[in-house]
Amino acid sequence: MIPYIRDPKQTIPTSSVKIIGLGGAGANMLERIALDGMEGAELLALNTDQRTLSSGLALEKIQLGVNLTKGLGTGGDPELGHRAILESEDQLRASIKGRRIVFLCTGLGGGTGSGAAPIVTRIAREEGAFIVVFATMPFAFEGKRRREQAETALNELAVLSNALVTFDNNRMGELVLAKQGVHEAFAAADHMICESIKAVIRLVVRPGLINVGLDELVSALRTNRSRCLFGSGIANGKDRAASALKNVLNSPLLDQGALLKKAQTVLVHLCGGEDLTLFEIELLMQRLQKFIPETAHVLFGAAIDPAMGDSLSITLISALPEDSLAIKSRDSLSQHSQENPILDPDQEIDPELMAEDPVPALPTPPENPPEPTVAAEPIAVHASEAPLFDAAAAESAPEPEMELLAAQAIVEPLPGPEKPSELLPLVEDEIPESPETAEAAPEVPAVAPSPKKKSPFSSPWSKPKEAAPLEEPIFQEPAAPAEAEPPKLKLGIKASGPQSELSLDAAPRGRFEGETPNVYEGQDLDLPPFLRKKK
Amino acid sequence: MARRTKIHVGLEIGSSKTCMVVGEVKADSAVKILGIGVTKTAGVRKGEIYDFSQARACLKDALAKAEDASDVEIGSVYLAVTGAHIQGINHRGTYRLPDGEPTVTPEHVEEARSIAREVHIPQDHVYLHPIIRNYWLDGLEHSMSPVGLFGKTVEADFHVVHGIGTRIQNSIKLVREMPLEVDDIVFSPIATAQMALDREQRERGALVIDIGGGTTDYALYLNGAIAASGCIPVGGDHITNDIHLVTGLPFSSADRLKITEGDASADPVRSVGIAKLTDDRGFAEVEVSRSILNEVIRQRLEETLKLVRQRLPVGSVGEIGAGVFLTGGTSLMRGFSELAFDVFGRDIYRPELPELSGTQASFRDPHYATAIGLIRYAQILDAERAKPPGIFGKIGRMFWSSGQ
Repeated sequence: MIPYIRDPKQTIPTSSVKIIGLGGAGANMLERIALDGMEGAELLALNTDQRTLSSGLALEKIQLGVNLTKGLGTGGDPELGHRAILESEDQLRASIKGRRIVFLCTGLGGGTGSGAAPIVTRIAREEGAFIVVFATMPFAFEGKRRREQAETALNELAVLSNALVTFDNNRMGELVLAKQGVHEAFAAADHMICESIKAVIRLVVRPGLINVGLDELVSALRTNRSRCLFGSGIANGKDRAASALKNVLNSPLLDQGALLKKAQTVLVHLCGGEDLTLFEIELLMQRLQKFIPETAHVLFGAAIDPAMGDSLSITLISALPEDSLAIKSRDSLSQHSQENPILDPDQEIDPELMAEDPVPALPTPPENPPEPTVAAEPIAVHASEAPLFDAAAAESAPEPEMELLAAQAIVEPLPGPEKPSELLPLVEDEIPESPETAEAAPEVPAVAPSPKKKSPFSSPWSKPKEAAPLEEPIFQEPAAPAEAEPPKLKLGIKASGPQSELSLDAAPRGRFEGETPNVYEGQDLDLPPFLRKKK
Repeated sequence: MARRTKIHVGLEIGSSKTCMVVGEVKADSAVKILGIGVTKTAGVRKGEIYDFSQARACLKDALAKAEDASDVEIGSVYLAVTGAHIQGINHRGTYRLPDGEPTVTPEHVEEARSIAREVHIPQDHVYLHPIIRNYWLDGLEHSMSPVGLFGKTVEADFHVVHGIGTRIQNSIKLVREMPLEVDDIVFSPIATAQMALDREQRERGALVIDIGGGTTDYALYLNGAIAASGCIPVGGDHITNDIHLVTGLPFSSADRLKITEGDASADPVRSVGIAKLTDDRGFAEVEVSRSILNEVIRQRLEETLKLVRQRLPVGSVGEIGAGVFLTGGTSLMRGFSELAFDVFGRDIYRPELPELSGTQASFRDPHYATAIGLIRYAQILDAERAKPPGIFGKIGRMFWSSGQ
């Protein structure tokens, strides 16, 4: 294959997105994200509880409060969580350093989530990242104390974060049918959060025909003390515009579009395959107009991604002032989002964003860049990045943490859940390279376990990620969404293309012709049993 | 205090006919049927309205006929609803008495009842009836409220019937457009059971199956309380349709053939030869082999009854002591009792309508069982409402106010 190197300036570097799962609930969300396949973005798990941490799928893990809780949880005490995160602040800081966007997923109410989330948010802000917090609120039956702990943390987060989306566990019941199992309800909630994160990444990272970036995102969310409205839908086949819009409005955070009535600024982002037509866009925006007040400021973006195939995705983001929330008195769904203009990092990010996407549809990325490139470049990556981490880590981290850190430092440069095929060369690269970093992290053997840790990650879209240093992720980035879409489609909407249906209408049905089949236990009751049983 | 005579009206909008029955409940609780308005229904299929304006015209006609026959101006009706979306489920609420309160108070019972009524139903569904089955006090069954007795744990068993709210609201809307008020809505098999079963039969265990034109509704009573109810969207129309599909006859001939010649008994003697329909001039219009005709009918009905049996709680067929009571127009099918016996292995009855004073003998017709059952239901409800308002009524009223 002929390698094709594109202009690296066009996109946001992959490594600039980091997703952090904090605490037990955060770990679950992270798991879902990892399983659903989040291209490019780095996953970082933070927890006090070593057991949950070690079983997680995240490539990067930081155990909080190693000396404080000794590998146990916080037992629901936010104070402990608070102290634990302070103890591990330096590692976290090193890990977040240089990231443009940080997503923090956490469940409020417990010790680690409530205690550490505000600190993590603050650290991320201090490192200059745009931070979006996804927080779940505890069930009502968990009691008043947990609810209060969650509220306290939420108030702090509202001030500290760029955008805060909360999902109330009490509304989980709306996500699934009454008969479905409890695990499905939790999975659905996690899936929703995962979808939200993906959509935001898709939005800011993918170059568009009509571009939207972090600046638009910020202005869509810019109201004082607001709650974030969020909807994301994907559909394919005939009438995909209408059904994608329907999916968007079905999002539990939108309340069937009723909540959009009061929105002042709405960000709409479309992404489709190469066959996305202007007519479709017009049709869709027309329908959307019914749900949005005429005076609202609509920020419209569209992007073409060949990997979308024949599907079309819509993302809708807006914010409501909190007072309108009170009027609606939907206490079960409390969401806040706070845009803090002073801390706003988008100034630094904007130029990049703006600069990066004037070019519309990018050509398909080379599927398998030649091996030599891959083999050669990682050394540079490690040389430039690893010492930084290890130095920072070594200063703060006492002995037991070294192993983790060493693994982490090595894992770090690979910005995503990656390629089993890559593992071997990777390890080889690592070993000659490690002496350089060994001063800080002498446990070379720690390198060996790291591939094992990654093994559950062996994702179907194996693709060398760590080709070029620094610039490389930039180059790689557009490839990432392109690669990620297929698995997503597989999980969400089955395979692309209309699914063939087992035809029940083979026989005429007389006067019941054209009605919905009266199916009971696989038999169409409208057909004569005389004919059915004869077969 | 002398109780006044009251007039109740029962309305059933079935798939094949709309039937409005005007009944007078005398001071001594005897029921007299004053008049019936029946008209063929159009626009209703499988118990649910699919053509609103046609259904409205039919209802108007039935109303006029009923008012004519009974000489009563009808202002409000009891409405029977059915449809595959309506389900009945059993649920038990348990309440443990707080320490230091040895006897059961009304509040405790109320608590147990409210727990029992909290059934998880799909979001678009509404409650039709929560029907109390019985109470349990420390594992011992009590048919009446155990208030004042000593105990630790009160339990209330409820049978909760629920269905899709908007569809039920549309039935109500249809009636309101007459304009008529709706006193209460009742799930059809429950109304039919009021008619078909007496207390003793309920005590011994009985199953009522109402096979109408579009649906088959069933209600099972065990130990005096309702144990299961539901609706299968298959009825007499399906038999006609089956004959049409198998033989290729037009619907009208298929329907006539079903009524005049059909037999469901699987008795080989009755399946010999050819069934004929003659036209006005005496020519054979239609000829169908009886063996095919009967086989088509039998297989349809057998399947329907087996579906009912499948849906009943496990082992409950064995507990049916009194028998299976068949009603509805399709139950007039020849040989149906034999078929039902083959399926259930219990005594089979066509319900004898209880003592109703009235002139028309046609009231003994199972076609009207549900509508007449509504009168009986209204009578029971009235008796309960005379006491502190019954839970039926309360829930009913709640539903109406929200169903505006």
